[in-house]
Amino acid sequence: MRQLWSLLAAVALATPPPVTAQQQPASPGERLPVVKHVLPNGMTFLLLRREGAPTVSFVTHFRAGGVDEWTGISGTAHLFEHMLFKGTRTIGTNNYAAEQALFPRIDAAADSFTAEFRKGALTDSTELERLRIRLKQLEDTARQYVVSNELDHILTENGAVGLNASTGSDATNYYFSLPANRAQLWFILESDRVRDPVLREFYSEREVVMEERRLRVETQPFGMLIEEYLAAAFRAHPYGRPVVGVASEIQAVSRNSALEYFHRYYGPNNAVVAIVGDINVDTMKAWATRYFGDIPPGQPHRPVVTQEPPQRGERRISVEFDANPQLLVGYHVPGLQHPDAPALAVLAQVLTGGRTSRLFRRLVIRDRVATTIGAFQFPGSLYPRMFTFQGVPIAPHSTGEIETAVYEEIDRLQRDPPTDEELQRVRNQAEAGSIQRLQSNFGLAFQLSSSEALWYDWRRTFRDQAALARVTAADVQRVARTYFSPNNRTVATLVRPARPAKGGTN
Amino acid sequence: MRAPLSLGALLLAVVPVAPLAQQPGADTHARIQALQFPPLRFNPPQPKKVTLSNRVTVYLLEDHALPVINVQLVSRVGVANLPDSLWGVGWQADGLLRTGGTTRLTPDSVDKLVDLYALNISFSTDHEQSNATLSGLSRYTDQLLDLGFEMMKSPRNDTSRVRILAAQQEENWRRRNDTPGSVLGRAWSQVIMGSHPLGRSLVTPDEIAGFTPDRFRWVQQRLYCPQNFLIGVSGDFQERQVVAKLESLFRGWAPCQPGLREVPPVTYAQGPRVVLVEKDVNQTNIRMGHGGGIRVANTPDYFASQVADFLLGGSGFTSRLLARVRSDSGFAYSAFSAWGADTKREDLFFAGAQIRAEKSVAGIALMRTVIGSMASEPVTAKDVKLAQDNEVNSFVFRFENASQIVGQQLSYAVDGLPANWFDVYLRGIQGVTPEQVRQVSQRYLHPDKLVIVVVGKPSAFDKALSALGAVTPLPVDSIRR
Repeated sequence: MRQLWSLLAAVALATPPPVTAQQQPASPGERLPVVKHVLPNGMTFLLLRREGAPTVSFVTHFRAGGVDEWTGISGTAHLFEHMLFKGTRTIGTNNYAAEQALFPRIDAAADSFTAEFRKGALTDSTELERLRIRLKQLEDTARQYVVSNELDHILTENGAVGLNASTGSDATNYYFSLPANRAQLWFILESDRVRDPVLREFYSEREVVMEERRLRVETQPFGMLIEEYLAAAFRAHPYGRPVVGVASEIQAVSRNSALEYFHRYYGPNNAVVAIVGDINVDTMKAWATRYFGDIPPGQPHRPVVTQEPPQRGERRISVEFDANPQLLVGYHVPGLQHPDAPALAVLAQVLTGGRTSRLFRRLVIRDRVATTIGAFQFPGSLYPRMFTFQGVPIAPHSTGEIETAVYEEIDRLQRDPPTDEELQRVRNQAEAGSIQRLQSNFGLAFQLSSSEALWYDWRRTFRDQAALARVTAADVQRVARTYFSPNNRTVATLVRPARPAKGGTN
Repeated sequence: MRAPLSLGALLLAVVPVAPLAQQPGADTHARIQALQFPPLRFNPPQPKKVTLSNRVTVYLLEDHALPVINVQLVSRVGVANLPDSLWGVGWQADGLLRTGGTTRLTPDSVDKLVDLYALNISFSTDHEQSNATLSGLSRYTDQLLDLGFEMMKSPRNDTSRVRILAAQQEENWRRRNDTPGSVLGRAWSQVIMGSHPLGRSLVTPDEIAGFTPDRFRWVQQRLYCPQNFLIGVSGDFQERQVVAKLESLFRGWAPCQPGLREVPPVTYAQGPRVVLVEKDVNQTNIRMGHGGGIRVANTPDYFASQVADFLLGGSGFTSRLLARVRSDSGFAYSAFSAWGADTKREDLFFAGAQIRAEKSVAGIALMRTVIGSMASEPVTAKDVKLAQDNEVNSFVFRFENASQIVGQQLSYAVDGLPANWFDVYLRGIQGVTPEQVRQVSQRYLHPDKLVIVVVGKPSAFDKALSALGAVTPLPVDSIRR
């Protein structure tokens, strides 16, 4: 199974797709007057002027994600994302020289801490705590030179909204919106921080990221189930690693590793900025050159070479957590660039999209076995990924009953293709969705920037949406037969430990 | 804005660091300071206000940029206006409006229409208001409005769908303690508000046992009925046509039935109190607070409390709580405050965080200190200016699109605020002084009288929780709702 689609992927890369853009009428999104402006250093700007309120949204994607990490530094892409809010040699400090002079001592203290931590079972906890306190004291000494969260302060007083960032498996993004008359501020601050970030307060931020991990994964049944499920599904490809990082690696990552990650992946040639709103396109072009033009290019981004080997039989795991059962069932499917991707998206809609979908009708409405049934493809889209069903049973029904229903409906789809009515519903929903996505400056900027960063083509996402309308019943049946076989399957079930911990009973 | 930046530039100037001059980013402060922003010329479009023949008010704002229409209906009564015995039915009456079919259409037929035309039709019954949101492609406006109104006017509450809802709610009840956040939210409400309906968010098994189509109908006829509505329409439509359509849709819709009550008065628990719910997690969920003492009104105290909340914990990284608990200490990913205010009554002030188990007690003590610092270490003119500049400079984001502008007018009308409330608010915020922030903090924030609710594993804490005061254990199974 996996061999077959690996072969297909290779063919798709080697030859032009059978249907070219010219042969299909362009969708409304593809016709947007986006101006693509590429600086000599490779930094790409997508500029779109829109009528409406005088606001402007900025979204930058870097081709730098969790998959680009190397062994032992998981979580660094994400930790580095946090560090880009800590400032530069001028923002976030009142005396950079004095501050910087302390970094070697802080890093040495961190190395001692890490050395003790690395002993694992042999770690001396008293010594570890002593080293932790020493590290904290040193970093607190440096803090006298820190102007805390200055980037936030400047943007807040200028009326910026939505300042945030997120790290994914494939890429990392940074964004905020400004009143249109203050657009130049983005150029000044952003060019400063991507040119010259200072990783101050690094080790206390490492602790913050550990708390983020506890908040999203370790204390959350669904977060924990997802993490274990991906680890079971991928044994070679980095999609199996948590983007937030493995706890022991978060606690051991050094400032230098994070800087190394930055130098490898954050060159301007790996950045795509979308600017959407009430803008003057020529002014944006001029400012792009003025503020970013002299940043030297970095190494081009090289896709991950690892391919997940074909799966040799079903994998089945249980994850113990003091909570009620949940289920994930998934199949390896190709990445988004594969010609089968639109048919897989339609298949997901036929089975779980809306109250009239096959699995929802069966599990939620007819049999009352589940509170919800959904399907999503993740953890990224650049590389082959997991087509995943998520189900939550209603006691006394079990996750096994949800599994059975999923397998039977897949069998049925392999035998009988979807009806015209089902396909029409999916087309209408896709059309409405693609128009609704054009509503906000931010949403549009995010899509343009992401599409260009991942596919080197801002129209690609619009085209993928439009492609759903051309998927036939036979296409859906074919992909159902191609990918959804038991030996390509991973099943993860959340189960309560035999003896629940105190206080967590239900 | 000027003050902090000048200070920054000054510090740079007096620190002779040679390499800086060669760094391209060295003059970032100077560059920002030199920026001359052109004035922002913007007159947000005003929705048109129309009164239908049944005296329902409609706010309309056309925007033909995209072929999409958005209709919001807000009813000025909610679940807290129902008798206590119907709270659970009311809390779930919204979902059943969507799924239960109509007297004319089976539930399946409704689902098919919604999915085929890709309509978004959803209902939500909240504590003191009830909402319907109808949106879709404008070429299906008739289908959207016909179906959405039919669902509200003549709900079927099909028995099979009531049974599904009951089974799902029973499962929600079973899962109520699965995440620390769910335990904390419910424990906090029970401790601070007792059994008052405004503090509730989960239906109990006893209430689920009382789900019947008739009881749902009784509730729906009172929460979704003509006289209680305010309507907002935005997007791609022609005013005349939509108004005529609404007139026809309201024709023959029975008037609101009696039987609702005023929301009973709320009494908030008095601190100091420390309540512990044990849960085996490596991160402690914390909430602390008390009655907030403030109402939404054109008063100096209200505006000062808004600025105080912004600077204490309402504005993320520029606030004291996140700076101290996260950035400086690394104790937590998230820490915040929320100084609530309402037009009708005093709301709650509270602060929250999820803190590493081994720093739980130190973290709570730090949060308490930071709350107290609003009075003991008064905010500066620079701090207040930050909050004011943020409000003034970001105002345009409150008017970014037609549905947001219409939604704002709807919420002012529901709250009984004037249509120009945003201008009043902005002026009020601009008038706040550091001394007012100090006074309002001193008068209304009581770090020594906090009700503190903690969900976590005490054996992993840095020290005994009793260091913060006498601890009342609250077993997780005695969170009743």
